[in-house]
Amino acid sequence: MNNTQIINDSDDLSTSSLSRRKFITMTGAGLALLSLPMGSAFALGSNKQVGNQAGKPKIVWLLLRGALDSLHTIVPTFDQQYKPLRPKLSSSFKSPLLPLEKGFALHPSLKNLHQWYQEKSLIPVVAVYSGYPKRSHFDGQDYLESGKAEIDHDSGWLARAIEVKNKRALAVSRATPISLRSSDQVNTWYPSNLKVADEDIYAALDKLYQNDESLRASLESGLEVRGLVGDKKGKKKKRQGKFIDLTKACAKLMVGEQGVDCAMLELGGWDTHNNQGTRLNNNLAELDNGLAELKAGLGKEWQNTVVIIGTEFGRTAKENGTGGTDHGTGSALFLAGGAVNGGQVQGRWPGLKTEQLFQQRDLMPTTNSFSWIGNVLSQHWQFTEQELMQVFPHVKPYNQVLLRSS
Amino acid sequence: MSENSMSSTIISRANIAVNRFGYGARGDELTQAEKDPRQWLESQLKPITFNGDFPHSNTILIEHAKYQKEKKRQKKQQKINSQSGNMQANSMQANMQSGNMKDQKKPKNFSRQALRNMSVGTLKQAIASSNSVSWRLLDFFSNHFSVTAHGQLMVGLAATLEREAIAPHLLGNFEDMLLAVEQHPGMLIYLNNEKSFGPNSRMAKKRNKGLNENLAREIMELHTLGIDGGYSQEDVIELAKGITGWSVKRPGKERGEGFVFRAYGHEPGSRKLLGKIYSQLGIAQGQQMLRDLAMNPATAKHLCHKLAHHFACHNPPASLLKKMEATWLKTHGNIKAVMHCLFDADEAWFKSAQKYKTPREFVISTLRALSLKRFKDNALLSTLINLGQQPFNAGSPAGYSDYEQDWLGASALMARIDWATMVSGYSKRANAEKVMKLSIGTSVSQLTYNSVMRAESRQQALTLLLMSPEFQRR
Repeated sequence: MNNTQIINDSDDLSTSSLSRRKFITMTGAGLALLSLPMGSAFALGSNKQVGNQAGKPKIVWLLLRGALDSLHTIVPTFDQQYKPLRPKLSSSFKSPLLPLEKGFALHPSLKNLHQWYQEKSLIPVVAVYSGYPKRSHFDGQDYLESGKAEIDHDSGWLARAIEVKNKRALAVSRATPISLRSSDQVNTWYPSNLKVADEDIYAALDKLYQNDESLRASLESGLEVRGLVGDKKGKKKKRQGKFIDLTKACAKLMVGEQGVDCAMLELGGWDTHNNQGTRLNNNLAELDNGLAELKAGLGKEWQNTVVIIGTEFGRTAKENGTGGTDHGTGSALFLAGGAVNGGQVQGRWPGLKTEQLFQQRDLMPTTNSFSWIGNVLSQHWQFTEQELMQVFPHVKPYNQVLLRSS
Repeated sequence: MSENSMSSTIISRANIAVNRFGYGARGDELTQAEKDPRQWLESQLKPITFNGDFPHSNTILIEHAKYQKEKKRQKKQQKINSQSGNMQANSMQANMQSGNMKDQKKPKNFSRQALRNMSVGTLKQAIASSNSVSWRLLDFFSNHFSVTAHGQLMVGLAATLEREAIAPHLLGNFEDMLLAVEQHPGMLIYLNNEKSFGPNSRMAKKRNKGLNENLAREIMELHTLGIDGGYSQEDVIELAKGITGWSVKRPGKERGEGFVFRAYGHEPGSRKLLGKIYSQLGIAQGQQMLRDLAMNPATAKHLCHKLAHHFACHNPPASLLKKMEATWLKTHGNIKAVMHCLFDADEAWFKSAQKYKTPREFVISTLRALSLKRFKDNALLSTLINLGQQPFNAGSPAGYSDYEQDWLGASALMARIDWATMVSGYSKRANAEKVMKLSIGTSVSQLTYNSVMRAESRQQALTLLLMSPEFQRR
């Protein structure tokens, strides 16, 4: 933020690179003064014992909020019903679709994902759903994040997974999303372009919050993360929170000795009731570029990474009257990363004939997202069946080989 | 007051009135409220009028059409220029001929300016207001009927909805507010109803246009009945059909501007919504559907819970909700009466803090407490962006979350601390002890009092006060 915006005769608060370095050192020192909670995941130097850099299996959970239209993303070109159902949308692609196996094809904006597919690091899964039977975004997302047969605002599947395996997670978000609630091994980080406060304020506030547990916990974990990332100050002009910046920062927080085992990212903009052709052209490119940045940032850690990309539900098989689609049921899931045994399209295609559709309007889901994710957890993080019950109490994992044997 | 009793600090009734129901004390409001907090609250509910000269949505629609036309013209001109070979020489010549360099400039973006001015205008009025309880109520309904400034046209229209459709009915009946909102160009365009036409309408047959369920679904799920309000997918389609043809005029292409009912796009025939048959013709069909939805007991339940949850506490007791719902149904959904009922209820006056202020509440209450005058427009907006509640940018028709876990995260708190430090740095003359007395009065723990009084600098003292649990919670 430009400080002169507020008042003209203010002190010069601009932060030079020197003071930034000084700040990081001070925060480190400040942390030592604070009494960190027992077992705090981010205590500096707490996991020095991890010797080798690469090798720890990592998971990134990316939630596409707003219900991605899977039929416009993984296009079933072989299905005779596809074009008649979507005369406008099927002719809205600006360049040729990118072919996958079995007659499916990726949206042309997904260039990097397609390259991964060819390199065998991407599995698109068609016709999935979370088990949520209705069409409300908000409940649908909560359901997918809870990972139970019901909505639980206080406990998410990824939080339960890291609890079982004693892993650490990061939410790239201002506050903890449901997926990561109920574990104390979770931290949040989100860019802010405010100037950072002096470190003595933190020490004073830590004292002031001694009887206020929630404020104190937030303060302490905020300090820990800030010490790790450092917030760029001063010159930035860019819109904060652009997806590509978030994935870049996310990768940074996942690599190195202090890197977290898993991270959650969110990206909105998928509720395409109208003008879907143009909107998805742009949004899918944003998604694709952001993921490429994640891969670049992860470096050799990419080989141990699985990125799970999901959305709350799908959209109507038929296009609506305004060049878009309305809320539906079956959608898609993507598994990406160097650890993935890719180059295949998974899931069972239900067909698009009226009688094959869910309630004669939506893509019929044929498999459950949580069973696919459960499969990833058992192959990637070695979850036993018993342990998996603690994460997804209501579903069993599928046993397809989704990951490379390491 | 012992150092360990912070979490159970008892808040005075005046403090509750000013902070739980309003945007915090400005000047001596805490003292004013002390005489009779309940009476003070009632006197706070006054109609809202907006200062300054802000564009009406109709003007925005016209300016948007002009903007589009001008952009098209320039594009065409450029094409002609480049086709004729030497573009630069040509355009220079053209400029010299017309004698006006402005002709070649990019057309002015009217919408963004309008959004900025109106967003800041509302914030500034709330900061300066002597009846901030009304401004809190406006913000509640503005978030209830949330629209996002996304895309050129919505950027212009987003801020007009609360001014034209919500504020005029703020202390009236919910039904009237609902009808005004759902017929406002901002809402119709945001949720794509302006081009939703009945599958059997003349329009659909002639031009291959069809139904869009978006607005109908959100009316039931978010605006009225609530997700558990007992409606089905069939009801969504029936309501969508009932409001087909509810559209917005296109300036330049047809006469007039604003809301229009396109009879030729309305689905013919009678509809069945929630078991009731609607055989009205034309626009009256959808209007009656909305009136019935407004007075449905599920709507009373949904809205009363949302109001109590927002103002009073996270989990409003059943006894409180029962009183509010009864008042709602008895007074035909009169918002003022329901608010009076809330003020009257003992359950709304818990003596300990119930909620953590939202980013918007925190910013407005801070600036009220400090009486900062020189806060610039851009700074105000970027503050809300940084703290996570950019006006008209919730990105979802559900609006910003009203659950504190969504803004009490570590990163959010750090941003608050940074901002509080910065603001304190600008308030060189502010006396933290005085600000403490005016904003939270006697409801302060010994720990906070001592921390503020013993701080090493004025700036630090003020930051600690603003970030203290007593100022952060209400």
